[in-house]
Amino acid sequence: MDPMKEVPMTVTVNGERHQLTVPPWETLIECLRDRLGLLGVKKSCEVQVCGACTVLLDDRPVSACTVLAFEARGTHVRTIEGLARGDDLHPVQAAFVEHGALQCGFCTPGMIMATVALLEENPTPTADQVKRYMRGNICRCTGYKRILEAILAASRQPGHAGPGDGR
Amino acid sequence: MLRPFELCEPTSVAEASGLLAQHGDAARLYAGGTELLLAMKEGLVHYDYLVNLKTVPGLAGLRRDADGTLRIGAAATHRALEREPLVREHFPALARLEADVANVRVRAVGTLGGNLCFAEPHADPGPLLQVFAATARLERAGGERTVPLTALFRGPYETCLEGDEVLTEIAVPPLPPRSAAAYLKFGYLERPSVGVAVALTLDDGRVADARVAVGCVGPVPCRMPEAEAMLRDRAIDESVAALAEAGRRAGQAADAVTDLHGSADFKAHLVGVLLKRAFAQALASLRDGSPVL
Amino acid sequence: MAAEHLSVVGRSVPRLDAREKVTGEARYVSDLVLPGLVHAKLWRSPVPHARLLGVETSRAASAPGVLAVCTAADLPVARLYYGPAFRDQPILAHEEVRFAGEPVVAAVADTEAHAEAAVGLLEVRYEEQPAATSAELALASGAPLVHPQRERAGRFRDLAGLRPVPGTNVCHHFEYARGDRARAFAEADLVVDEVYRYPALSHHALEPHCAVARLDEDGLTVWTGTQHPFAVRKELAEIFDLPLARVQVVVPLVGGAFGGKCYTKIEPIAAALAARVGRPVRLALSLEESARTVTRHAVTVRLRTAVRRDGTLLARECDAVLDTGAYADIGPRVATKAGYRAPGPYRIPALRIEARCVYTHNVPAGAYRGYGVPQVTWASESQMDVLAERLGLDPLAFRLKNLLKRGEEYVAGDTPMDGDLAEGLQGTAQAVDWGAALGPGRGRGLAVAMKDGGGTHTVSSAVVRIHADGSVSLLAGTVEVGQGAQTVLAQIAAETLGVPFESVVVALPDTSLTPYDHGTSASRSTTVMGLAVQAAARDARLQLCALAADRLGADPAALDVRDGRVVHGAHSLTVAEVVRGHFGFVGGEVTGVGSFVPTTWSGTLGGATVFWETGMGAAEVEVDAETGAVRLRRYVSAADVGQAINPRECAAQDEGAAMQGLGPALFEARVGEAGQLLNPGLIDYRLPTFADLPDRLDTLLVENGDGPGPFGAKGVGESGTFCVAPAVGNALARAVGVRLTELPLTPERVWRALQAARGDGPPP
Repeated sequence: MDPMKEVPMTVTVNGERHQLTVPPWETLIECLRDRLGLLGVKKSCEVQVCGACTVLLDDRPVSACTVLAFEARGTHVRTIEGLARGDDLHPVQAAFVEHGALQCGFCTPGMIMATVALLEENPTPTADQVKRYMRGNICRCTGYKRILEAILAASRQPGHAGPGDGR
Repeated sequence: MLRPFELCEPTSVAEASGLLAQHGDAARLYAGGTELLLAMKEGLVHYDYLVNLKTVPGLAGLRRDADGTLRIGAAATHRALEREPLVREHFPALARLEADVANVRVRAVGTLGGNLCFAEPHADPGPLLQVFAATARLERAGGERTVPLTALFRGPYETCLEGDEVLTEIAVPPLPPRSAAAYLKFGYLERPSVGVAVALTLDDGRVADARVAVGCVGPVPCRMPEAEAMLRDRAIDESVAALAEAGRRAGQAADAVTDLHGSADFKAHLVGVLLKRAFAQALASLRDGSPVL
Repeated sequence: MAAEHLSVVGRSVPRLDAREKVTGEARYVSDLVLPGLVHAKLWRSPVPHARLLGVETSRAASAPGVLAVCTAADLPVARLYYGPAFRDQPILAHEEVRFAGEPVVAAVADTEAHAEAAVGLLEVRYEEQPAATSAELALASGAPLVHPQRERAGRFRDLAGLRPVPGTNVCHHFEYARGDRARAFAEADLVVDEVYRYPALSHHALEPHCAVARLDEDGLTVWTGTQHPFAVRKELAEIFDLPLARVQVVVPLVGGAFGGKCYTKIEPIAAALAARVGRPVRLALSLEESARTVTRHAVTVRLRTAVRRDGTLLARECDAVLDTGAYADIGPRVATKAGYRAPGPYRIPALRIEARCVYTHNVPAGAYRGYGVPQVTWASESQMDVLAERLGLDPLAFRLKNLLKRGEEYVAGDTPMDGDLAEGLQGTAQAVDWGAALGPGRGRGLAVAMKDGGGTHTVSSAVVRIHADGSVSLLAGTVEVGQGAQTVLAQIAAETLGVPFESVVVALPDTSLTPYDHGTSASRSTTVMGLAVQAAARDARLQLCALAADRLGADPAALDVRDGRVVHGAHSLTVAEVVRGHFGFVGGEVTGVGSFVPTTWSGTLGGATVFWETGMGAAEVEVDAETGAVRLRRYVSAADVGQAINPRECAAQDEGAAMQGLGPALFEARVGEAGQLLNPGLIDYRLPTFADLPDRLDTLLVENGDGPGPFGAKGVGESGTFCVAPAVGNALARAVGVRLTELPLTPERVWRALQAARGDGPPP
């Protein structure tokens, strides 16, 4: 097989199927932001430490800054834009609003997506489990306390893993 | 940003090896990319071709042989190792180590094979796999060989792999009965600063075998024969009494370097602290009757 | 303050921006897309000091997609140099580079990738020169002068007192003295003299600097995440020789700032490139480039304190040296403020303070949450504990004895203490169970600090527009950096007008639309902009009442406005009915204007402090003596907010500040070697994470309704950072008996100190 300068792919993004052709060196964040206009995916540290670009590939949280776009072939990519159903916020989003778990908001989309992944895997985490799972998502503003409260509150909501999954 | 490169997607190990042979230094194997893509984005390295190992079937599998040996496909992710019941049940120390590698996003993508082949000195798996006497299977178009993990690393970012060799599997033999392993690390930066693995085998109130490996502090992870000799084949109490000196020797032997993680002498000291604690953890689990394998 | 007469002030209403931020719809500068937008990337100097010999641009210029490759000489500007204190910083390096990472050449291309590829093709010839890469080296005799000549910017009244020392690298020397020091030190029962070090830090707001600029026949428009849109406008107007009205600076939501986006940063580069290529240009830095744009000052503080056996402070001498890097930025003001605040919130009869702001060949240092307070507080509050320990006094009792009382003067001519420090500190100590027994390896520590809050003689103005349907637009130039200013200002406007909170919409800053504001810094917005908003709302309300008076048949002064209705006894009209009733079908609106202009131009800072922003912290730490690791188990932070406009957001500011302050306490520091930054990114520069959140993190809001701001408010936001490091350092000392004078308190440093204390090794 000859080396590829372009990779054709089918990907579902927030429930919508896309046929794309991407160069191999295009990162997922470039694909989502520049190609698909999903500007809620935030670029910050670019070294997979801060988590601002967290999106879900199927059920896996990944750093869109360091994952190649073609790796999304055949997957369902979920971003912050796909969580709410119309005016109805996803329970995690609602908990972040209610608990004041955001300030500048730049980490918030990644923080929420990581939380969604956590709660899908472990619907009732302890505070220590939350701290451990979320330590790869950095917030410079809030000091994490209210984010922790929001996550624990969301975990107590029935059906928190529900509406956003779109599958 | 990444500079342009072309993507090769082989469907067999032989094909992957052939691509590496064909393109030489212009090609590099690519699995999770968590280390490689960072280096490429930084402009530290560039390859005209990335050879995607994940399109080779069967390289992400995990299975356990009849003799208890765990066979880990090189493209298995840290996350798979963290969560797979097979690993959690039979190699809990490895599952725990994997659960604490970097962050959940890196673990979701990064592979054990990629981690080992990139040979970033500040990495977790090497020392623990070394105390398990794990081996790596290296394949190329013309054949294959098996090397112990102790021989895999040559230096920072350098392994014993030939240009066209592909790491396909890591085999982790079980420890003997009445054994337990523990891995402890220390650090406050994103990567670990010191990692120490211990495996103990008890027999009739004695430490029949003690294996120690140290990672992160020096150029490569390595076993610590001198420390092991001081802890092995003696009564438990004697072994425990020898820990301080064994830790000191291991710290010296670890060839610690001074870098952003700290000074060499501090790291050498920490090797001793972690050795003592890892030993205690392994011992405690054996005494509880719940081995921390 | 009793808040029962208030409707929305004092309530934790949800943030106005919460929904857009949780749905990903919030837009930042880095999200802006314009038709015809092109992208810039920068070639940065690899060395700290060099003479530029020439740039070979032809390969880059002919690379795919490239529109222009520019050196300083190619920029179509009237002025190349800018800066808030000195006009010392070139838009691109000119003839000389002064720090590693300084932008030298810019490439503009159709895509970011093409611009970056073009930068990779540049060949820059330079001749390396000896570099002064620390304040110590820069102060040594024979050190290379970073700027042999300097031009004062003449922009701010407080900087009229700039005192550069000719023939040296000192760009500003602040001095203050009072009392008979010689006698105090001679009479003292104890004198402690120690040098404390605070490292340079990276702000690492998660959104790196980004600016988009467009120049056309109407003028220049720049979209940027600045904290000082009006200062940037002024600077750009001078650079391009344009009237202020033809320079429009627009600030969308900002992804964190913390001082790193104060004053002008990369806006002139984007604007000059836009002028050069005739298309809108976007310059988006990486986080690592942001770390090469601005830092927090590394400060060395020598502090000497004289005290009587009974614990009475007699005298203090402070000599602070700040590494301000290659360009002064706002460093001189940071030095002045660091010096001014170095004595701490105590009654000390004799003082001598010096603070020197020193040019070096490092990345420029500028504003950072607290303007020098965290650095000097590390020194002064560490030393307070040393004094207490040597005197055999309880650190809490020792501080209480010396704290300024309400109404006491800090410095002659400045605002007297406007809060109850002792009450706050006692509450903080109580909340952390000060005095209760602790297990081995654990300890508690306290600290208290203050700064002159609100900025020195700064101006804010606001406009309130009541529309014909009763909805309200609030035009205020305060930048939403995450602090919740939009929400709080809307609460102030709604409360003052007597309309529902939900009816107020707050505009984002746009220098062509929103009226003048000094900037979003110094914890000033709630108080200073808050007063302007309140004044504008009062103005609008008066007009509204005047319009309603006839229809209600009452004297305007007899009318009340509440819940969106103008009320007179049993009769009332909705706000919409009043506005529509007056203007009729042609439509119209009621426009209220308000401003805050300081009147006192006195005191050491050149203006009276608006309010004292005080902070207290109490830490409980656990120390692993074998590894030297320090873990924060509990932290209590107290802030005197006067009246919380939005209690949840006040507490959130304080919590966030405390956790930010934990970074330099335990692990944050820029590591440099010969002028090279070794840890620009997050792999080796450790920020506080979720895992560092202590078991308990509590915030106490002191509310005595005694602030000068609307409804008795005082600013908050910086004070939470002040006390963390000294409280943790003091807790460490009380836990294991070792005291460190240099931050951060890394495991290695703690371990070495413990070794030294045991006599096992050399001192740290």
